[in-house]
Amino acid sequence: MSADQPPYLVADLSLAAFGRKEIQLAEHEMPGLMAVREEYASSQPLRGARITGSLHMTIQTAVLIETLTALGAQVRWASCNIFSTQDHAAAAVAVGPDGTPDDPKGIPVFAWKGESLEEYWHCTELALTWPGGDGPNMILDDGGDATLFVHKGAEYEQAGGVPSPSEDDPEEWVIILDRLRNSLADHPGKWTRATGSIKGVTEETTTGVHRLYEMAKAGTLLFPAINVNDSVTKSKFDNKYGCRHSLIDGIKRGTDVLIGGKVALVCGYGDVGKGCAESLRGQGARVIVTEVDPICALQAAMDGYQVATLEDVVSTVDIFVTATGNRDVITADHMSRMKHQAIVGNIGHFDNEIDMAGLAKWQGVRRVIIKPQVDEWTFPDGHGIIVLSEGRLLNLGNATGHPSFVMSNSFTNQVIAQVELFTKTAEYPIGVYTLPKHLDEKVARLHLDALGVRLSQLTKEQADYIGVSVDGPYKPEHYRY
Amino acid sequence: MPLLAALHERFAGERPFEGLSIAACLHITAETAMLVRLLRAGGAAVSLAASNPLSTQDDIAAALALNHEIAVFARAGVDRRGYYRHIELALGHAQPHLVIDDGGDLVNTLHTRAAALLPNVLGGCESTTTGVIRLRRMAAEGALAFPVIAANDTATKRMVDNTCGTGQSAVDGILRATNTLLAGKTVVVAGFGASGHGVAEYARGFGAQVIVTEVDPVRALDASLRGFRVLPMVQAAPLGEVFVTATGSVDVINADHLTVMRDGAILANAGHFDVEIDVRALAGLATQVHHDVRPHVDAYDLGDGRTLLLLAEGRVVNLVAAEGHPPEVMDLAFGIEALALAWLAGNTGKLPAGVHEVPADIDAEAAGLVLATTGTSIDTPTTAQLAYRESWRIGS
Repeated sequence: MSADQPPYLVADLSLAAFGRKEIQLAEHEMPGLMAVREEYASSQPLRGARITGSLHMTIQTAVLIETLTALGAQVRWASCNIFSTQDHAAAAVAVGPDGTPDDPKGIPVFAWKGESLEEYWHCTELALTWPGGDGPNMILDDGGDATLFVHKGAEYEQAGGVPSPSEDDPEEWVIILDRLRNSLADHPGKWTRATGSIKGVTEETTTGVHRLYEMAKAGTLLFPAINVNDSVTKSKFDNKYGCRHSLIDGIKRGTDVLIGGKVALVCGYGDVGKGCAESLRGQGARVIVTEVDPICALQAAMDGYQVATLEDVVSTVDIFVTATGNRDVITADHMSRMKHQAIVGNIGHFDNEIDMAGLAKWQGVRRVIIKPQVDEWTFPDGHGIIVLSEGRLLNLGNATGHPSFVMSNSFTNQVIAQVELFTKTAEYPIGVYTLPKHLDEKVARLHLDALGVRLSQLTKEQADYIGVSVDGPYKPEHYRY
Repeated sequence: MPLLAALHERFAGERPFEGLSIAACLHITAETAMLVRLLRAGGAAVSLAASNPLSTQDDIAAALALNHEIAVFARAGVDRRGYYRHIELALGHAQPHLVIDDGGDLVNTLHTRAAALLPNVLGGCESTTTGVIRLRRMAAEGALAFPVIAANDTATKRMVDNTCGTGQSAVDGILRATNTLLAGKTVVVAGFGASGHGVAEYARGFGAQVIVTEVDPVRALDASLRGFRVLPMVQAAPLGEVFVTATGSVDVINADHLTVMRDGAILANAGHFDVEIDVRALAGLATQVHHDVRPHVDAYDLGDGRTLLLLAEGRVVNLVAAEGHPPEVMDLAFGIEALALAWLAGNTGKLPAGVHEVPADIDAEAAGLVLATTGTSIDTPTTAQLAYRESWRIGS
């Protein structure tokens, strides 16, 4: 690291006290992480680990970071999204539990809400650049940006240079290439050395996991990876229980509309759609589901939901929610036929489920900003619809995303995966792995006490009868929870 | 039935009905047997007739007559004339001081064909909503000759008996009669009173999409806010696969509705009388009727390729096709009735003729006794809390 590199980059260190209070509240709701801290307090399995994290810099992530350090790791952090940082969380992490804004003693964090793309990749590179110019020896990734950066760096070092961008490359790719070009000039061989010393990456989310499998298939993956996303205690909790919680929260914060008695339409009945439909019904809405998959459609019908096509019900629905993972599910034409003041929102990962571009182009349509993330779009015939978060994830845009307890499940998987890869490196040749089922079960187990759950115990005879060990794993790999 | 067991013990000691005669007209089931035995243990002479010609369990009737000193006048499957004859016999045998009715047929008979017995009667209890509605009409015309306590109409009973009991057992009756899978079906519930609410909730619990029909805007709004689709019956009729009436009204499903129903639609009534589905209209529309295609299922062939399935001849499906309310529900309902009757016996002459509510402390006493039998403890208000509740001086 060059001498002029900053020890941290955050919006405002004075927010640290507020952040610390919220971290303390979150710790109570993250029993898995706190149990892991206790379990490994003396053995310090991550001593010697230099972890670079690229993951939304929120309060819950602060509890994750401080769990990693409690296990002996050194940590550097950047956010994995330009908008998702909670500035008070970043400040509290930079200041640390024992520091003050005037004398920060926390960890190097490079993240603030509202970064430009240039700033974002600068932060990612800072998080990947350790004192002395070394790279990390572990990566904790969400979406795969840190993994991408070190892989591309090593690739271009081998190739002898960074290629020039072509004209139709996206803006972001041009920025990445520029940054790598400077890096290769200033620190030749840095990323080849880094990838050589990285023991592995643990990846949080679907998008990043997809990239990892692609690289493994192409033979370009340079270190082993654990796919945390597909742990049951991650994906089920995020998708079903997380969205069940935060969908309603987002709709209410955005509109404060009474949900009881309304007709709500949920597009898609996967894990996310199931959680959404359940919570809308729980609030007293009459829920209609749309599906393309006959199995999910039948499931919805068996659960007592009306299953219809969007075309048939578009003019009778009060609240629309897209949860499909697909594009152009609600079109501008649909929106032109909706009821006056119908609410339209998306909880799928990307912002293409609702055709916002088509809406903006509609002849004579007018947009009035009611408040941040809540717009009324009025059509020439006078009817208006309320669009939440401009068609982006409304549970993050209008509310605060997944609650701490849900993230405790995800992040406990992350910590356990980091310990696995760092301490059992030899057992994981280059490839992409999911956590073994007994560790998935362990994550669940660590969350039971906080809920007052009393688990029954198999007898030896019962365990033998179904062919499992008394201590698990209890289910075959193909079991669908 | 722990509440009745507890009361049995208490009444055997206190003998509140010593020297009194009671005529009862109730569905003759195991639960009713517990009630009349408890009245007997409390010192009463008891005559019992059936309140529905299809619901009598003959084995219970026989056991009560043979082993428990109850004068029983009931047999399953009697016709309408036999049904009323049994009520008259029970009244004549009892020369009652107190009556218990379920639907108002006994009280009606007492004021018409058995009016000579009226001067002897001190009061009575009515068990069901339909009966109470009838009694109020009688009272409004000045025709009711003695005080009747509307035992159905307490907060506790509405909650447990109508909502939970009818809700569960009406669905049970439909399942037993048809073995149809409710998940994914469209179920139309007519009426969103305490019973209809229960039926709607339980049907939803089975995975059905439930449509509610109502005439009362307050109840319709309640149904809507609880997430049920609310439609007029004429619009619900072509959508429904299972229809359940729970209104206490007449011709809720009529020829206009029947003519637009889907092939295979199932028709069931959870209301007290067999008038909610216009069975005569259904018979008129049918070109052929296949009786008992399954027990309690009649198939009405409409001659255009559609067949409608009528359960229990349009009579109360939870009693005919299933076993009525589960014992826990009837335990509470009959417990309230027994407590109310004992209170009447000890307070003769204090109530004018007419329909009266159950005193609130009796309702609370019954609920408290049930909680005690389940081992559930509740809080007791502190002196400060009691004082606060009484005071108007203390604000925020």
